[in-house]
Amino acid sequence: MFGKGLLQGLGITFKRMVGPNITEFYPEEKPNLPIRVRSSMGLDRDKCISCNLCANACPNSVIKLTSEKDENNKKRLSSYHMDVGRCLFCGMCVEACPTKALAVTQDYENAVFEPEEMKWDMLKRAEQKGKVG
Amino acid sequence: MDALYNLFNVLNNVFVNIAIAIRSLFADPHSVWANLTMDVINFIIVVIIVVLAALILILLERKIAGWTSQRTGPNRLGPRGWFQTIADALKLMGKEDITPAGADKFIFKIAPMIIFSLPMMTLAVIPYGKGMAPLDLDLGIFYFVAISSISTLAFIMAGWGSNNKYSLLGAMRAVAQMVSYEIPLLFSLLGVVMITQSFNLGVIVEAQAGLPFIVLQPLAFGIFLIAGLAELNRAPFDLVEADQEVVAGPFTEYTGLRWGLFFLGEYGNMTALAALGATVFLGGWQGPIFLPGFVWFFMKTGVIIFFMMWVRWTFPRIRIDHLMHLAWKVLLPLSILNILLTGLGIYIYRLVMGG
Amino acid sequence: MSINETEELILNMGPQHPSMHGLFRMVIHLEGETVTKIVPKIGYLHRGMEKLAESRTYAQFIPYTDRLDYLASPHNNWAYVQTVEKLMGVVVPERAEYLRVIFGELARIASHQVCIASTALDMAGWSAWSYAFRDRERICDMYEMTAGSRLTVNIMRIGGISAEPPAEFWPALQSFLDDTPEMLEEYYGIFFGNEIAQGRLKNVGILSKELAENLSITGPVLRASGVNYDVRKAEPYSIYDRFDFNVPVRNGCDSYDRTIIRMDEIVESIKIIKQALRDIPEGPIMAKVPKVIKPPVGEVYHRVENPKGELGFYIVSDGTTKPARVRIRPATFINLQMLPIVALGWKIQDVVAIFATLDAVLGEVDK
Repeated sequence: MFGKGLLQGLGITFKRMVGPNITEFYPEEKPNLPIRVRSSMGLDRDKCISCNLCANACPNSVIKLTSEKDENNKKRLSSYHMDVGRCLFCGMCVEACPTKALAVTQDYENAVFEPEEMKWDMLKRAEQKGKVG
Repeated sequence: MDALYNLFNVLNNVFVNIAIAIRSLFADPHSVWANLTMDVINFIIVVIIVVLAALILILLERKIAGWTSQRTGPNRLGPRGWFQTIADALKLMGKEDITPAGADKFIFKIAPMIIFSLPMMTLAVIPYGKGMAPLDLDLGIFYFVAISSISTLAFIMAGWGSNNKYSLLGAMRAVAQMVSYEIPLLFSLLGVVMITQSFNLGVIVEAQAGLPFIVLQPLAFGIFLIAGLAELNRAPFDLVEADQEVVAGPFTEYTGLRWGLFFLGEYGNMTALAALGATVFLGGWQGPIFLPGFVWFFMKTGVIIFFMMWVRWTFPRIRIDHLMHLAWKVLLPLSILNILLTGLGIYIYRLVMGG
Repeated sequence: MSINETEELILNMGPQHPSMHGLFRMVIHLEGETVTKIVPKIGYLHRGMEKLAESRTYAQFIPYTDRLDYLASPHNNWAYVQTVEKLMGVVVPERAEYLRVIFGELARIASHQVCIASTALDMAGWSAWSYAFRDRERICDMYEMTAGSRLTVNIMRIGGISAEPPAEFWPALQSFLDDTPEMLEEYYGIFFGNEIAQGRLKNVGILSKELAENLSITGPVLRASGVNYDVRKAEPYSIYDRFDFNVPVRNGCDSYDRTIIRMDEIVESIKIIKQALRDIPEGPIMAKVPKVIKPPVGEVYHRVENPKGELGFYIVSDGTTKPARVRIRPATFINLQMLPIVALGWKIQDVVAIFATLDAVLGEVDK
């Protein structure tokens, strides 16, 4: 019969109208992201051996790191910069890291006002957080 | 029990009594000055009704849109977001008023004003309660349909004046659609007019004391709803605005408060049409005595408005040729059939009752 | 000009238009509202994918393939890594193959849900749109818990798959599979079963079988024109020959069939995922591939059945770590050819609907 589909549609929307809503009230209720989510990067300075594998794995040359030799002739990381404006957040650098010094973190509120703020100094960030990430 | 009944009576007649009180301030309660004062007060009340209706309905529409898609709708400002429209209206006032280059400036600027003035004119003849019609016109329905058809003109003025191709297409659609749907809309109302022998909306409501005309004229009510939706350019007949095709059609180039006036006008027209439906088919202010008449009236109007919103958020947009087929090949014959059946019914009724 | 003469109206739709699915632009010549000519203009989202590949190593290009057809990114990963594997002769472990099939079919479901949703939205079916997107979120959640991203999943690697799904993935997948019949019923009830929607779509935009074949159209659009062709059956890749599934074919050739065939494909995808869940073996998820990928000199073409059609990668290797040339055969770019032919003589509304049923993703069209 013509009109059956129309009534059926009205029934479905009415059912949804009186049913519960599924909105996440974002700023009040922060979602708990799974631990694999690649929304931010964190560096553990002590684990890093300055092998440059992350920079080589990066498809977009986001990562720039420098290192210096210390008294034991061991490489020590002196600077680690990420240009997040170019970052795809593909996680290739994390996969390449042999010591798990670089890790994905679940900080997702990364919006900034100035383009310069997208150039992350990873060492500073690690100190500020006081932990990895 | 008597006290309770008296209370209801007082509530029911509160506005009528206020009007009588104001009139009695004059030496001659029916002098020209008294009439003029009452007209001005009535006008202000109608404007308040239009603006309030728009403020509430815009929010309600967004709420219903949210609820149908399992969201909450606006929820930030005020209790559960119910003050959102006020903030939006304030924001619209602060927007830049842009008139596009090459626009026909006079027509461009006057179109939203016309749209906004129409619901004020149409809502003036609706009886909100017993003896509560701001203007008690004898040709109420006729006047209503005549005035509401002017909105076609406003749409084409907006579309032509904007000097925009999308707007022009939308305006052309508006003309085609609204002119077609006026005919079934008017014909669907004729059945009721035949029964009551009057165009006066007050008389029509009085005649529905026993049972509302929706029982006698279910077909006409259906035609009225469909044609009314099309006349208001609301989904599924919103081809005029059609964001996905002609990008809001005649409103494309409007900004700020002009655009806001279009919205006020749209929701005002919606209220007016729902009010007409409630008056003609659902019995207007007639209802069980435990609520005042004007509350019944607004509840019935609200039911029709809710139905319109519910339909809007459920159905996809109709195709333009199907739209025309529906008007000319389905609704028009059906409404004429309805008139025929009503005439037959009246004839048989008179024959049986020996009138 | 006398009043009897009429002028053609040239309407520029896009690239900023609500129903242009990204940055598509078409110049429409109108006679009243009837379309007399369509000139599609593409390239607003051109990022030079093929050239980018030449300056990236083989592994580094994988995240870029996500950005081709971003609604079904696992499929693009899959097509690309399989092409490289074919070039290198890598044998992928069983478990990785099964996981690839599971994620590929999930991506197909998600992509088709978006197609249904956006077709509904292009006809102002707002609620239908939000319901389909609501259900797609569950697939995004599954991507997210496994690979760490919701849209540009980047899940496949040369030689396997990036990560073993976590423990909570399996119950989520199972409950999604259990709920799909209800979802499809809801889509049908609110959109496909609706007489207005049927009126909008049925017998509109007829793409005849001959025309579809001549334009080398692939995917659901082709199958809705009555041609039984699916790369998964015609040239089974991965482990598709092990699964028992049908290729849905419809003979309507119209917009309605082009849309509703995606519902049939969701049903088939569910069937495949269920079989994969039943048969999936334990084992490694990555083959032994060298750290630095250096395929031998040569060239290879490989194609897969993307949700939108046939997606092919053609790679020329010069023996270095970077491909000498990558050519992408995007499905919707080629499917889009039909629009100026099929949409002639229809109204603007119908053009919008026909374009929606193509399920074009401009990331793939413009590359």
